[in-house]
Amino acid sequence: MLKNYFKIAFRNLIKNKVYSFINISGLAVGMAATIMIGLWVTDELNFNNHFENKETIAQIFQSQTINNTIGTGPAIPRPLEFALRQDHKDNFKHIVMSSWEQPRYLKFGETNIYRTGNAMQEGATDMLDLDIIAGVKDGLKEKHSIMLSESAAHALFGNDTALGKIVKVNNEDDLVVTAIYKDIPANNSFSDMKYIIPWKHYITTQDWIEWSKESWGNNSFQLFVQINANTTMDVVNSKISDVKKNASSETAQFNPQLFLLPMKDWYLRSEFENGVQSGGRIENVWLFGIIGLFILLLACINFVNLSTARSEKRATEVGIRKSIGSQRSQLIFQFLSESFLIVFLSFIVALGLVLLFLNGFNNLASKAIVFPWTSLQFWLIALVFVIITAFLAGSYPALYLSSFNPVTVLKGTFKSGRYSSLPRKILVVAQFTVSVALIIGTLVVMNQIQFSKDRPVGYDKEGLIQIPVMSNEFIGKKDIMRNQFIASGGALEMTGTSGPMTNVWSNRSGYTWDGKPEGFQEDLAYTSVSYEFVETLGLKVLEGRGFSRAFASDSNAVLLNETAVKYMNIKNPIGKYIRDSDTEDQNPPLKIVGVVEDMIIQSPYSPVKQAMYVFDSEDNTAFYNVRLNPEKSTSENLALIETVFKKNFPNTPFDYQFVDEEYGAKFKSEERVASLARVFTALAIFISCLGLFGLASFVAEQRTKEIGVRKVLGASISQLWLLLSKDFITLVIIALLIASPLAYYIMGQWLQKFSYRTTVSWDVFAIACFGALIITLITVSFQAVKAATSNPVKSLRTE
Amino acid sequence: MIQITDLEKFYKTEEVQTIALNKLSFNVKEGEFVAIMGPSGCGKSTLLNILGLLDDPDGGSFMFNGTEVAGYNERKRSELRKHNIGFVFQSFNLIDELTVFENVELPLIYTGVKPAERKKQVEAVLEKMQIMHRRNHFPQQLSGGQQQRVAVARAVVNNPKLILADEPTGNLDSTNGNEVMDLLIDLNEAGTTIIMVTHSEHDAKYSHRIIRMLDGQKVTENILA
Repeated sequence: MLKNYFKIAFRNLIKNKVYSFINISGLAVGMAATIMIGLWVTDELNFNNHFENKETIAQIFQSQTINNTIGTGPAIPRPLEFALRQDHKDNFKHIVMSSWEQPRYLKFGETNIYRTGNAMQEGATDMLDLDIIAGVKDGLKEKHSIMLSESAAHALFGNDTALGKIVKVNNEDDLVVTAIYKDIPANNSFSDMKYIIPWKHYITTQDWIEWSKESWGNNSFQLFVQINANTTMDVVNSKISDVKKNASSETAQFNPQLFLLPMKDWYLRSEFENGVQSGGRIENVWLFGIIGLFILLLACINFVNLSTARSEKRATEVGIRKSIGSQRSQLIFQFLSESFLIVFLSFIVALGLVLLFLNGFNNLASKAIVFPWTSLQFWLIALVFVIITAFLAGSYPALYLSSFNPVTVLKGTFKSGRYSSLPRKILVVAQFTVSVALIIGTLVVMNQIQFSKDRPVGYDKEGLIQIPVMSNEFIGKKDIMRNQFIASGGALEMTGTSGPMTNVWSNRSGYTWDGKPEGFQEDLAYTSVSYEFVETLGLKVLEGRGFSRAFASDSNAVLLNETAVKYMNIKNPIGKYIRDSDTEDQNPPLKIVGVVEDMIIQSPYSPVKQAMYVFDSEDNTAFYNVRLNPEKSTSENLALIETVFKKNFPNTPFDYQFVDEEYGAKFKSEERVASLARVFTALAIFISCLGLFGLASFVAEQRTKEIGVRKVLGASISQLWLLLSKDFITLVIIALLIASPLAYYIMGQWLQKFSYRTTVSWDVFAIACFGALIITLITVSFQAVKAATSNPVKSLRTE
Repeated sequence: MIQITDLEKFYKTEEVQTIALNKLSFNVKEGEFVAIMGPSGCGKSTLLNILGLLDDPDGGSFMFNGTEVAGYNERKRSELRKHNIGFVFQSFNLIDELTVFENVELPLIYTGVKPAERKKQVEAVLEKMQIMHRRNHFPQQLSGGQQQRVAVARAVVNNPKLILADEPTGNLDSTNGNEVMDLLIDLNEAGTTIIMVTHSEHDAKYSHRIIRMLDGQKVTENILA
């Protein structure tokens, strides 16, 4: 029986090549898009799957309330470690303090490499279940040791033994290689961690780390934990939430609440809004999951429409089979098996498409997805996917076709009823509603990115490079380097800063100033900067002046951005003082010497944060910001700067970043969304048009006689074209009317997550509507014109 | 074999109700060959569809082999149909996508006959209908007469007790038409009951009895043999 069904299905496929092509190509494209989205979603959901202990690993986060706004983040103070070890150690298998991931120079002999890594406590190896391929598992036990990833060890030592060798870190510390671990695969936290140095060594490398030992207010570290098997995250949360609040009266005013963010949430659900977990990348997972489903549905709609449109052709067969004794259920099964065959063939084509385009997709999505040939789970899901798609596409046609009355169809008088095309029309409207909504959505995303890119950043980011100078060898060299860079002709100006110009590395509170409102809890972005800060960055000084070598008192001076002046409510700020309330006796007050225009340092979608730029009197320089000489080419400038750099630091590789590129990276996530959205929108339009093309050719075929008669009676080609096209245009206009308010609402909601946002403007709708109508016209006109220009004698003879 | 009593069938549109069968009653004995004649719209085809269990009557009784089948649901009807009734249509109604062999094989598939047995039975009936040499051809590659032979072969392959023929020669020239009638006669002589709707007096003469209808009612009944 099944053989008979497949035989008929196959012969139908061969016989109706155009319809088969439309069905199979539409479904294949839809399925390929869905498979790729499926692989992407799986990849996202499997983030951190590498870690054996992922269910019990967490990072400690804290929420603090500042001026009635709750801010949440992973930065914690050092004393928290001691408090947890002392009072709550029963809850944890491991408590692991960690630095932030940071690049360092690793040198052995003449080989010098620049890799990111962490400083961590000993429990890290066991907690992260590192795969030690050489050396000892407790490789962080000794203070002067270092654990290297396999790739870092290979880069440093080639095929020679690395164990026991001494690596010079940042040209300062000699650390002995105690273990080599397998690199943590991509798609996992810590995958960039190419080395680990012992925490006990790290805390001795800089004074401020040592000093922060007792400071509950210095949130500069990370703390990872693995909870014991006999407890849960919720139970531990209830025990530790007030640890900081109870331990430190100094920070209690901010109501610090500690909690564990489980490893499974690190990647997908790491965003918080006013203290409440609000999502993160999981939103994109949902977004593209839904888009994938819609694309598949669009392809299924083509199948439904073409099958039901052509039902008259299958009606006789249904009648014959029923008269011979077939039950309706058998016919349903027959038609479902036909759709299964078509879906299966489409799946094969879809697999080919996926293999062909997976690399391009990976580039687009910044992924390294490998096709899971050997995954049994994938093939099982694929089977279910094929069956579900076959049901989605085949159920309605099967029910519809099998419902025909044999008496009517065998009499040869069967004609689809007046309203039989209504479901098809509704489905076409649904298809174009989705397509138009996707067009509008994509345009809004692109507009938002452009809008934010066009936002004035407040400084001149072009022709500016930043050179990381975080190791101690750079201390005290700032002015020498500035002079030599300028003298080389490669630079116009240079300034040192304690953080990059594209991120805030430090936030401070605990200041007082005249007129500070009672109970006001300030939260200021803090960067220490050197002379020529204003000149190098091209900042606009709104009041006062920049730091100047002419004023010795500038060693205790500060610049505020205009938001900070408003935020702190300081009237006539120039000449006023800001005092550090904790260390008033030791630190002299900071004199406000200038107010500068706001610079976008953090998110280009958010308001600029209140910031203070304090004169760096202790040389806490982390970056040299160098303004390149516009008279020379970039490569010339870089060569000159590198020469100067190498002359002064011969053992340190010259590393730099273009500030405009670093700034551009802030748009990556949204640009990725936009690129993916563009591709999937194009696919949705393609599939919808394919279906429309099929329906248009069906209608043209069905109305052949009518067209012939009309031509004989004097209808012009344009009148016939209009006759055949207007029905489809009407459907698309209805779709536009539904999609526009829908997209307006959804995209309006999406834009809400950006403080600095564009509006959903009318031109977006105009472009989408115009585009959809043009595409529709082109699609249906081909068939309409073909039918309208055919010989009426021929078409009338078909009767 | 067939007893119909006061059989009624109405067709309703939004405005009018048409009576297709108006309290029609007659019997058909096993092995009989009955021709039903009458002008277009007199209810012949409606009657045939009800006798073939393709359609439901709106009133009256329809006894098939002593069992009332008028109220049967679709599943029971198709069960009864596939084991007992064969159809021959004016327009042949072969499935274009299936070959001659596959078309004839179809009823055996629905009755669950094993493939080897199916092959034997189909080949036997194709031989009998002298169409074996065309077994791998598709319907559109055959002449009208050949197509109707295939249709008859399909109708009889299951050895049904009853064959319902709806103007079986309507689309054929006289030579092919006569050949088809000869086939029906042969089947009838072999014991199959045949009820044939026809406009052709010539064809009707092959039957044992002619029932003439008008406006859904039986008007005359002529016994020929």
